[in-house]
Amino acid sequence: MLDSFIPSWAELLRFMPEIILSLVGSLLVMLEPVTGPKSKSMLGHVAIAGLIVALGATFVAHANPGAAFSSMIVVDGFATFFRVIVFTVGILTIFSSYQYLDREGSNRGEYYALILFSVVGQSVMVVANELIMIFIGLEISSIATYVLAGFLRDDKRNNESAIKYFLLGSFATGFLLYGIALIYGATGTTDLGEVRQAVLQSAEPPVLLLSVAAGLMFIGLGFKVSGAPFQMWTPDVYQGAPTPVTAFMSAGPKAAAFAIFLRIFVTVFESVGDRWEPLIWASALASMTIGNFAALQQKNFKRLLAYSSIAHAGYVLVALTARSEIGTASAMFYLAAYALMNMGAFAVIAHVAGKGETTVDVSDFAGLGAKQPVTAALLTIFMLSLIGVPLTGGFFGKFYIFKAALESKLLWLAILGLLNSAVAAYYYLRVLVVMYMEEPSARTENLEPMPMSLQAALWLPAAGVLFLGIFPSAVLEFASASARLLGQ
Amino acid sequence: MIHAAVLSGFVLAVFAPAIQRRWPKAGSWMLSLLPFGLAVLFASHIGEEPVRESTAWIPALGADLAFRLDGLGLVFALIISAVGAFVLIYAGGYLKGHRHLGRIQCFLLLFMASMLGVVLADNLVALFVFWELTSVTSYLLIGFDHEREKSRAAALQALLVTGFGGVAMLAGALLLQQITGTLSIEGVLGQGETIRAHALYVPALLLILLGAFTKSAQFPFHFWLPNAMEAPTPVSAYLHSATMVKAGIYLMARLSPALGGTDWWFGLLVTGGAVTMLAGAVLAFGKSDLKQILAYSTVSALGMLTFVLGIGGEAGARAAVVLLIAHSLYKGALFMAAGAVDHEAGTRMIEDLGGLRGAMPVTAAAALGAAVSMAGLPPLFGFIAKELFYEAAEVHPVLLACAVATGILTVGAAGLVAIRPFFGRAVQTLKHAHEAPSSLWLGPAALAAGGIVFGLFSGTAAGGLVAGAASSVAGIPVTAELGLLHGINLTLLLSAFTAVAGVALYASADRIRPLLRPVVGSLAWGPAGWYDALLASMMRFATFQTRLLQNGLLPHYLRVTLGMAILLIGVALVRGTGPPQKNLLTDVRLHEAVVGILILAGAFSSVRATSRLAAITSLGVVALGLAMTFVLFGAPDLAMTQFLVETLTVILLVLVIYKLPAYTQKSSDRTRLRDAIVSVIAGSLFTVLVLGVTSMQLAPEISDYYIENSEKLAHGRNIVNVILVDFRGLDTLGEITVLSIAAVGVYALLKLRPHKEEPS
Repeated sequence: MLDSFIPSWAELLRFMPEIILSLVGSLLVMLEPVTGPKSKSMLGHVAIAGLIVALGATFVAHANPGAAFSSMIVVDGFATFFRVIVFTVGILTIFSSYQYLDREGSNRGEYYALILFSVVGQSVMVVANELIMIFIGLEISSIATYVLAGFLRDDKRNNESAIKYFLLGSFATGFLLYGIALIYGATGTTDLGEVRQAVLQSAEPPVLLLSVAAGLMFIGLGFKVSGAPFQMWTPDVYQGAPTPVTAFMSAGPKAAAFAIFLRIFVTVFESVGDRWEPLIWASALASMTIGNFAALQQKNFKRLLAYSSIAHAGYVLVALTARSEIGTASAMFYLAAYALMNMGAFAVIAHVAGKGETTVDVSDFAGLGAKQPVTAALLTIFMLSLIGVPLTGGFFGKFYIFKAALESKLLWLAILGLLNSAVAAYYYLRVLVVMYMEEPSARTENLEPMPMSLQAALWLPAAGVLFLGIFPSAVLEFASASARLLGQ
Repeated sequence: MIHAAVLSGFVLAVFAPAIQRRWPKAGSWMLSLLPFGLAVLFASHIGEEPVRESTAWIPALGADLAFRLDGLGLVFALIISAVGAFVLIYAGGYLKGHRHLGRIQCFLLLFMASMLGVVLADNLVALFVFWELTSVTSYLLIGFDHEREKSRAAALQALLVTGFGGVAMLAGALLLQQITGTLSIEGVLGQGETIRAHALYVPALLLILLGAFTKSAQFPFHFWLPNAMEAPTPVSAYLHSATMVKAGIYLMARLSPALGGTDWWFGLLVTGGAVTMLAGAVLAFGKSDLKQILAYSTVSALGMLTFVLGIGGEAGARAAVVLLIAHSLYKGALFMAAGAVDHEAGTRMIEDLGGLRGAMPVTAAAALGAAVSMAGLPPLFGFIAKELFYEAAEVHPVLLACAVATGILTVGAAGLVAIRPFFGRAVQTLKHAHEAPSSLWLGPAALAAGGIVFGLFSGTAAGGLVAGAASSVAGIPVTAELGLLHGINLTLLLSAFTAVAGVALYASADRIRPLLRPVVGSLAWGPAGWYDALLASMMRFATFQTRLLQNGLLPHYLRVTLGMAILLIGVALVRGTGPPQKNLLTDVRLHEAVVGILILAGAFSSVRATSRLAAITSLGVVALGLAMTFVLFGAPDLAMTQFLVETLTVILLVLVIYKLPAYTQKSSDRTRLRDAIVSVIAGSLFTVLVLGVTSMQLAPEISDYYIENSEKLAHGRNIVNVILVDFRGLDTLGEITVLSIAAVGVYALLKLRPHKEEPS
């Protein structure tokens, strides 16, 4: 029995990215007190290096797929796909943070450590093959993110953001835990594969308990992905948090939460699929509608993107409603594209925001096209991708999702979703109109040039968005292959 | 070969600004060599068999970068490249010295390449991709003169309307794929029977027509086109008359063998087309701005095309193709001539223009040639087009009447744009007019000449082209023996009548046009009105919804979450077997009941408490009650933990209580009542749920294992102890370590406290 407690090298290898990031994160905390106030950015570089090594380890792990630690985690294509997303998001977040933190006078080592810890949590979530692991990952990620949301502790909006996120987040997590408990109660195990087997082999599956559990977990996960009707925290928290952190929240934790959403709902709850499908259907439609319509009237760019992130969660929920391989694959592709385009858009906001984030209204972006044409062109790419214009990743993401919906006979959801994305075009385009066609604002008149780090935070996602838009095939096929394995 | 033809435009576009900067004068002439070359290349294909080329792009989606050059695609490709070449030259003259000339040439080339992609793509996804690219480049081109507010609004409006249609079209394409299993257009066309019999036929048709109608400015979506005239004239000439607005027509023509021939098709296209062509013609005749007249007459011509496509059959197909070619020739020429007039005379209002033929003879001749074609007079190509148009409309007298009415109004409008500014009494214009430079008159002259050549030698010059395209539209081989004379028949008589009535209309234009003004006002702004109203109501809905859902109050957010939980559990319970049937009250003992009442009393008094201390104490009572419950049911260790945690919590709260602001009652009685109801329901549901779980047989293995093995393997009887120090010994070690580190951290923080915070 003892042998099974000592992990083999192969198992450690499969968990190596998380190990690396945890070590680097701890190292950062230890280095922080001995680093001079001027060289805190060095700690950021260390964090980026750690993330890059972790990315490399991800690919090594992917070459040796399989389960580890008594099947608590599993490295499969699905896990690798999301690991790459969350690590990339981590790298981009740090790139877009240097200038911001310097400007706010808060460039401190624990910021980078917290980002790494949060990424570790997300990474644990996406490799977890077991409900308790999922919960632990979720909590690691969430707690670090709660702190990050209130990182500028003298800033009132940061405080409001953090406390709202924390209170509602823990409340929602409670529901998730309750759902996990019910699944355990119904099947006697928390291992996803065993739960699935237990349900499939049972002569009389505990439908009631499973559907209540699905409902409770939907509340918990719905909150994390900002799906309606649990979207309410999103605008307040996104607006209040430091912009790079907002970018991070909207991409990393969201992708990871969707990953476990997919893993749990397409494996464990597939047998009660008929029961939760209407629920996700309604949530998808409500998320798209609430998000898109509320965004129409927003003047604050961060708040606008917050609502848009609700709408985008709705699109991904459409993919989940499809309950098919192609549905899963389309959700994966979409999340990858969304993470890139959103990170890019927020990086531009972080640049324009100014000290104390006084200039984050859409109108503050007026004249950006004339003053910093390259920045404006990159933001245009992100906006077009968010609309879903061809040759950007956003287009194929959306296309793939609605195709999945139609193949699953969700005609109305697909049509309402497409109408929604036509409404959405209005508010993204308005940004372009302001940026290119209006006289420069006081802010863009005196905009400082963009530092190298921030340029990296813009160019990388822009290249990614265009790559996904022009040569989507490789990523799409990887997602499809992973989705096929997941459903087995 | 087709790949290269389409993609070359994109490549050249990238270099266009540099070329324009290097050779400011000759740049646009040089750029035009590419479209000229393409036009020659396409022309060499006339009469040949269709060619198909395909490159795998996204196999997983069935989206290939496939192109197919057949009769219909050829006609469009020729129009796009030939008109494109003249427009590039024209733009070079029209915007001479403009600081962004290079950029506009770049956009024009991008647009041209995208448009070629639309008409040559043989895959619905590829078609959509190019389709959206035309919308985007058109947005850039309309918004080019962006200093003007109107220009911005028009650009946004055009993009929103066509973008919305594009999305609908994509949905329709996906439905077609559901029906046929392929995204290849050739494949779709081969399954017309299946499609028309399918249950999804009507939704697919409606969605695709929505795309086509918005793009091709059909009523009631036509309003964006005249507004888009804010664009510089070369752009209007190219996008808004010759090419982009015909993308919708192309789509309908292309898919008509698969989708056409049904009552839905006939009804929608003929009605939409008839309303559009009549309304467009009336509005064109009522306007005074040259570009507006041309814009509405374009709307009218697009209506005619939709109308004949709706009628379908050989006659419809032939009429559509000939109308299409004729219109591109004369309307492109007229737009460019109008631009030249504007450029040279400083105004486009027909009231302020007259007698320019002396000053601008070449432009005048070109405009006249084009206008005669537009009016449908022999021997120009427009005459043949109108003959075929009438012939197609002969299926029903009402349709024929609509067609003739449109024809008459078109003659009037042609007079307004080509006779009024150039002939008659000379008027003092804003600028002193003189002949435009060659770059400005070459385009109109060449296109107008094309109308004459095609008219006079229609059989040889256009026969093969038209036959090939009409066959693609009809889906069966169609012959086209074009000629000016077909003997005396009904259409010829109607043509004569049209010409006479049209000239009479023009002669009395000054009396009739003022009468039209109220009609023009209501017709022009009606549909644009619904666009505005739609936007306004979207905004109202947005505000309403945001106020309702997003008031920023935490309790509200919590209430919604809890409400959702109640709903989900409730529904699941109702749909399931219902709450567990178990007599719960049989074996309750007295002291258990007392503890239960204690907990309830504590909970009640904590929410009713009027001071913070009382609330904390009451909460403490609840906690103690819970701990008692653990004791009663044989879990002393759990009870112990609960006691400790609760005591600690109460102490902590008491510690901070003096730091807190004064205790006030923030919520009204109504809110409290509502919250009470929510919490009682939530509590009851969770109670039911817990009961449901406890009534189930849980998996027994874990506790059994420890009960069995704690003495055997670990030599200890206290199972909890054994688990802590033996079975889970490493966990305990980890916990202790974490706690120690946390303690060190707390100690460090306490030591730090006396220091004042440094100003940062």
